[in-house]
Amino acid sequence: MVGGALLIGATVAVLGGCLLLVVTVVVVRAARHSRTRRDQMLLSPLRAPLITVASGEDDDGSAAEQLTWATGVSRTVLDGNIVQLLTKIRGVPAEQLVRVLEVHGAVEAAVADLTHRSSVRRARAAQLLGLAQAGHTVPLLVEALRDESVEVRNSAAYALGLIGDAAAAGPVLAAIGLPDRGLPAATAAEALQSMGVGISEVLREGLGDENARTRMVAAHLSGQRSFTRGLPELRHLLDHDTDLTVRETCAAAIGRLGRGEDAAVLARHTLADEPLSLRRACVQALGELGDEGAVPTLAVLLDDPDPRLAELAASALIELGPEGSGALSGHEDDPAVRSARLMASLQKASA
Amino acid sequence: MSAPAGDPDVSPVRVLVADDDADIRDLVEFKLTQAGYAVEAVPDGISAWEAFAANPPQLAVLDVMMPGLSGIDVLRKIRESEFGTVPVLLLSAKSRDSDVDTGFAVGADDYVIKPFSPRELLHRVNGMLARAR
Amino acid sequence: MSWDGIAPGLRSFVVWAMDVSSVPILVYFVLINSSLLLIILLAYLEFRAQQRRRATAVSWQGAGLAPGVSLLVPAYNEEAGIVMAVKSFLTLRYPRHEVVVVDDGSSDETFARLEAAFDLVQVPRELPHEIPVRATVLGIFVPRDGRTRLVVVRKENSGRSEAINVAINAASEPLVAMIDGDSILEPDGLLHVTRPFADDPTRMVATGGAIRPVNGSRVVSGRIVRVEMPQTWIPRIQLVEYLRAFLLGRTGWSRLGGLILISGAFGLFRRDVVVEVGGLDPGSIGEDFELVMRIHKRMRDQGRDYKVEFVPEPVSWTEVPVTAKVLRNQRRRWHRGLWETLWAYRGMLFRRKYGRVGWVALPYYWLFELIAPLLELFGILIVPLALVLGVVNVPFAILFLVLAYGYAVLVTLSAMVVDEWAFHKHDRWRAIWQTIAASVLENIGYRQATVWWRLEGWWSSLRGKKHVWGVMTRTGFDEGAP
Repeated sequence: MVGGALLIGATVAVLGGCLLLVVTVVVVRAARHSRTRRDQMLLSPLRAPLITVASGEDDDGSAAEQLTWATGVSRTVLDGNIVQLLTKIRGVPAEQLVRVLEVHGAVEAAVADLTHRSSVRRARAAQLLGLAQAGHTVPLLVEALRDESVEVRNSAAYALGLIGDAAAAGPVLAAIGLPDRGLPAATAAEALQSMGVGISEVLREGLGDENARTRMVAAHLSGQRSFTRGLPELRHLLDHDTDLTVRETCAAAIGRLGRGEDAAVLARHTLADEPLSLRRACVQALGELGDEGAVPTLAVLLDDPDPRLAELAASALIELGPEGSGALSGHEDDPAVRSARLMASLQKASA
Repeated sequence: MSAPAGDPDVSPVRVLVADDDADIRDLVEFKLTQAGYAVEAVPDGISAWEAFAANPPQLAVLDVMMPGLSGIDVLRKIRESEFGTVPVLLLSAKSRDSDVDTGFAVGADDYVIKPFSPRELLHRVNGMLARAR
Repeated sequence: MSWDGIAPGLRSFVVWAMDVSSVPILVYFVLINSSLLLIILLAYLEFRAQQRRRATAVSWQGAGLAPGVSLLVPAYNEEAGIVMAVKSFLTLRYPRHEVVVVDDGSSDETFARLEAAFDLVQVPRELPHEIPVRATVLGIFVPRDGRTRLVVVRKENSGRSEAINVAINAASEPLVAMIDGDSILEPDGLLHVTRPFADDPTRMVATGGAIRPVNGSRVVSGRIVRVEMPQTWIPRIQLVEYLRAFLLGRTGWSRLGGLILISGAFGLFRRDVVVEVGGLDPGSIGEDFELVMRIHKRMRDQGRDYKVEFVPEPVSWTEVPVTAKVLRNQRRRWHRGLWETLWAYRGMLFRRKYGRVGWVALPYYWLFELIAPLLELFGILIVPLALVLGVVNVPFAILFLVLAYGYAVLVTLSAMVVDEWAFHKHDRWRAIWQTIAASVLENIGYRQATVWWRLEGWWSSLRGKKHVWGVMTRTGFDEGAP
């Protein structure tokens, strides 16, 4: 009867599937173990020279030369190991290792691999080029920022960050907002961090981008790198941006970069009709700004119903020196002020 | 660039190196050994603590990022032990401001951030030992 | 009354019951297993993509855009482990985080030990009241060194949910995570679970990380130094359940993009969003499940572009019940919470506004999580009865049972494969055999027991229905909701 046959068939299929999965688990584990053993075996004759070069003890270059003689699978495994080492050491040993890679043709192979079918190969190729400081491949890496796989995009940004060519800053920032294949903001920010001062103009343009993530990264980095040129845009975004996270990032950046006149724009956003998290961010920024023009605003906030806001205002006033502390008179018994004073004295005592 | 010249009758200065990364462990051990130190290298936090307790070295180089007990955990145990003043250098991955802060708060003497220069590491070790004497 | 008297009546009842139910049960069976297959497939695809990313990952140390995290630790009578736990939380590898402990009116030495270990001094601070809290806050304390990022809040005892809400009020970082004092966190766990926030800072509102049972593993100074299998079968079977739930369930759903119910996972939330929706509901047993539903509803009601993501990396390790008694209480509570939350948010079902949450995830949870034990109970009762009464062909019945439970084992083994491929935390071969054995054993008694316990939880909730409804109306659904 059909039902019975179906039932038997299904049961056999399920049990067969179970068996297959058990076998798979065992195979996956065994394969991993054997791969590790194989790699270790292939590397063992090369281990000593590799360590000699990596530790910077290869004064006459003989160990490095030994490494260049590796061929076949040994060479591939060795190159992989070298790439790993390049993420951990720098200086003369790193340069020597890069030369070994070049002699092996690994750098050229990586350039070719940038268009490989496998996304893992493309990603690893990009990373190698960055670690080998292959400055001439920057245009190719910039193209890889738009790759369909996120791991390749991340690796390309990482590589561009390592190479540090400021010409790549614009494309990296622009890649954040690409629809469907955006560059994750964290990788973009890290890459941009290691590019030079030349990127300030790019960041300023980024502040006007239509994508909120891009604006946020641009604002964040402007603050981190002290790029004062972007201040007008930062103020504008604080006033008008539709995204609360962007506004808070701008407030923090203005606090770090700003000058006296910026106290007013920060003060505007401490008013009661603004979102609480933004108000707190602005108060903290006012404290960081360190300008006495902020004192009146902060003094008013001492009476705010939100205790954290009041305490942040009190802390900022304490840090502003005598004029700030003066504004605290009359509020000496407020919990916010007493807390702020206590925290300040604890921090001073342990410094 | 070698270890502080000492009395030939005195045994070499002992250094403990702990890192789960075999490459780093080996290259630091090699560098320090070439410079004249007697190095004991271990692959994780627990072994580091056990090695330290069994035979306290004159200096320890600890990687922060180890599975199980981290370098900072081991440092904490060292500082709380009777040999608490042993100079300790922490190794960590780049841009870890919080690690640096925590490290110094727990009592590290120096900090090296990866990617690091092996030569610089040796300089720092030499310097720390010189100051300790 | 003799057996011969009862048997024919019973027999015809059973025959009738089976006739009536056989098609629906069969349909249900096919549906649930196909959907499980679909989830396995989706999880497999997602894992392949993640493995590619893991294989090429550039180490991210969390500088730059790593948002600050407040770890919220509600503590009630935890004197034994609280100091160690807090020390290990403070030394997690993350650029910017703080620990907020709320002593929920402990009657033991919890606070005294914290005070001594961290040299706490009282701060005359008032807590913000962004989330309204009924219990009185007794005091706020910080370490005297002014630098250790710890805040301890003492309050009157009023339960975990209120303790967490107090902690949220006291928290100062933009992200909050709720952890128990006996959880062990992976040192890099925060880096993993905050990564989606760093990658998409304007849209991400919540992320979840996987949890694993810590039973059996070697723990030193609040860190896991060696992962081992639990020693007894009840926790071993739970290990298998967790693998299934996190590696398959959450990941498959994550790929579907529609939904992540973070419940039971390690949850990390944007603080301002949690405040906006009102924090944890002290009246709800659903706790963080209910919170996530509230967040989904709020985001969609506002038409906001938001994301919730699951990260399958183990972030937290927790002690799972070892005895049947404790396990029973847990399962009753979970199922009760599931029921109450699903019922509370029934207004989201099949509404266009709620997208995949309302059209796919919620119906799935109703059908295959909530009602499943009921149907399973039916099967458990009917089949043996039918066999005894000779109503059904014995080989047929046995085959069907083997198929049904074999399928369950298949699903579990798929989770094992994924775990071996991606994480391989247990390195003894023995662990593999034990896990396989656990996946089979689960179906011989354990599963049936949880069916009963889950139904117990559901029933007890239904009986206390009036009280529950009183709280639920505050979520904004009118009695006449469509």
